[in-house]
Amino acid sequence: MEALNIEPTEDTPKIYFEPDVDIFLIEGKSLPENAIDFYQPVFNWANDFFYSSDAPAKFILNFKLDYFNTASSKQLAKLFRIMEESPVSENVTIKWFYDEEDADMLKAGKRYAKLMKLKFSFEVI
Amino acid sequence: MSNKLSNKENLGFIFKLFKAMQKDNLNYIYRGTFTANITDNILALAESNLVKKDDPRAIKRKVYNVMVEGLQNITKHQADIDLELEENYGVFVLKKENNNYFITTGNLIENENIDQLTFQIEQVNSLSKDELKEYHKKILIDGKISNKGGAGLGLIDMARKSGNKLLYGFEKYNNSYSYFYLHTEIPSIESKKVISTQNSNIIKYINALHKMLNDENVLIIFNSYFNQESLMNLLSIIEKQMVGKLNLKKRIYNTMVEMFQNIIQHGDNYKETPDGKAGLFYISESDDNFILNTGNYINNQNIPILIEKLTYINNLSDEDLDNFYNERLLNFEIDSNKEAGLGMIDIRLKTDDILEYNFLKISDKYSFYTLRAKINKNK
Repeated sequence: MEALNIEPTEDTPKIYFEPDVDIFLIEGKSLPENAIDFYQPVFNWANDFFYSSDAPAKFILNFKLDYFNTASSKQLAKLFRIMEESPVSENVTIKWFYDEEDADMLKAGKRYAKLMKLKFSFEVI
Repeated sequence: MSNKLSNKENLGFIFKLFKAMQKDNLNYIYRGTFTANITDNILALAESNLVKKDDPRAIKRKVYNVMVEGLQNITKHQADIDLELEENYGVFVLKKENNNYFITTGNLIENENIDQLTFQIEQVNSLSKDELKEYHKKILIDGKISNKGGAGLGLIDMARKSGNKLLYGFEKYNNSYSYFYLHTEIPSIESKKVISTQNSNIIKYINALHKMLNDENVLIIFNSYFNQESLMNLLSIIEKQMVGKLNLKKRIYNTMVEMFQNIIQHGDNYKETPDGKAGLFYISESDDNFILNTGNYINNQNIPILIEKLTYINNLSDEDLDNFYNERLLNFEIDSNKEAGLGMIDIRLKTDDILEYNFLKISDKYSFYTLRAKINKNK
C-alpha cells in the first residue's frame, strides 16, 4: 500500500500515512474553504487501506491538529466512521494530542471518543 | 473602557459604521498598539488583499512605501509616549476608491512637538517635485536629524511617492497630548489628481471615526470582500495581536473562522463581484468580553429561515446544544462544501452566550444582517 503524503499549507494540515514504517499522522491546522475536496483523497486512501490485505494488526493515528473548523470536524467524523466500520476497527487507536491549556481541543476529542466505537487515548503535548 | 451603548444600539452601530465606511469606501482600519509583527501583517494584508492584483506595479510600490512610512511614523511616536496602553492606541486607515489609494494614520504626540511637525509638513508641502528631490538629497548628505530621528525623511518620502501634498490635522487630547492625523492620497496613474491642502474634511471625518472607535473600543475593522485569503491574513494579525490565555485566543480564532466562512458560503451579493461577499468585520473589547461583529448583505427571502435557526440555537440549553452538535456532526446528509450545519452551533458552544443579530431592510431584495458573538475573557 502506498503512502499518503499531503504537505501542510496555511489552512490545511500535514497528513502523512506511511504503512511501511507504521506512521500515521495528522498535524497542524485545518480550516479549508472546501473541506470535502481536501479530505476526499484521505477517504479514498482509508477506504482502500482498511479493507485491503495490508489492513493493519495495529493502527495508531497520531492526531495532532491544533485547530480545526466545523467544516473539517464533519470530515474528521467521516474519516473516523470509515475506520469504525472497517473490519479492523478494533485494531485502531486514535492518539489525540492536545495542549494542556486548550480545554476545547480536549473536549472535541472526547466528543469523538463518545460518538465513535474506536479506541481513543489522550495525551498532553 | 466599557460598552457605553446598549445591545440594540450596538447592532445599529455596526450598520452606521458600515455605512460610514461604504460612503468613503474605507477598507481596513487597525486601532491598537503597533508592533513590528503587526506592521508586517498589515503590509501583508494590504499586499494580498486590499491592493488589487491588477494594479500597475508602480502604484503598488508607492502604496507599499507610503504605508511603511506611515506605520513607522506611528511606532516611533508610540514609543515616546508614556501613557496607559489603550489611550496610546494609534489608528491606521487604508481605503481605495476608483483606483486611488488613501492612507491615514492617527497617533498621539506631545503637544510641544506640534509646532515642529507643522513646520516640517508645511515645508514639504511648499516644495515642487524637483525641489523635494533636492531637499531629500540635501538632508541625506547633511544628515540633519530631527529629534524624532527621522529628519522628516519619512514625510518627504510620503510626499514624493504619493506625488501629492500631505494633509494633516491635530486634535487636542489633553494638556500634554494631541492626536496627530496624517493623510496621503496616491492617485491612480490615469488620474494624477492633486489634492488641495485646503480640504480638511477628510481629517475631520477620520477624527470623528476615530472617536467612534475609541468609544466602542474597536480594535480592528475589515471592510472589504470576505474570502478565504482575507480570512487567513486577518487571522495572522489577530493571532499576533491578541495576548492572553491560549484558550481565549483560540476561541476568538475559532469564532472568527466560523463567522467569516459563514458569510463566504451564505452571504448574498448586493452587487456582483468576483472577489467575494462585501461585508464588515470588527472586533471590539469590553471589560469582560471580546466582541466579534459581522455585517453583510442577505437576500430578504433567506431571513425567515435564518431567524428560525438562530432562535432555535439561542434557546437550547447547554446540554441540548451539545446533543444537537453531535446529531449534526454525524448527519452526513447535510454535508457539502457549502454546508456542514455546525458553524452556528459551534459559535454558540464556544462563546457560551446567545448570538445577537439584527436585520435592517435596505431594499425590496436585500437586508443588512449583523451578527455579534461575545467571548468572555474570564472563562
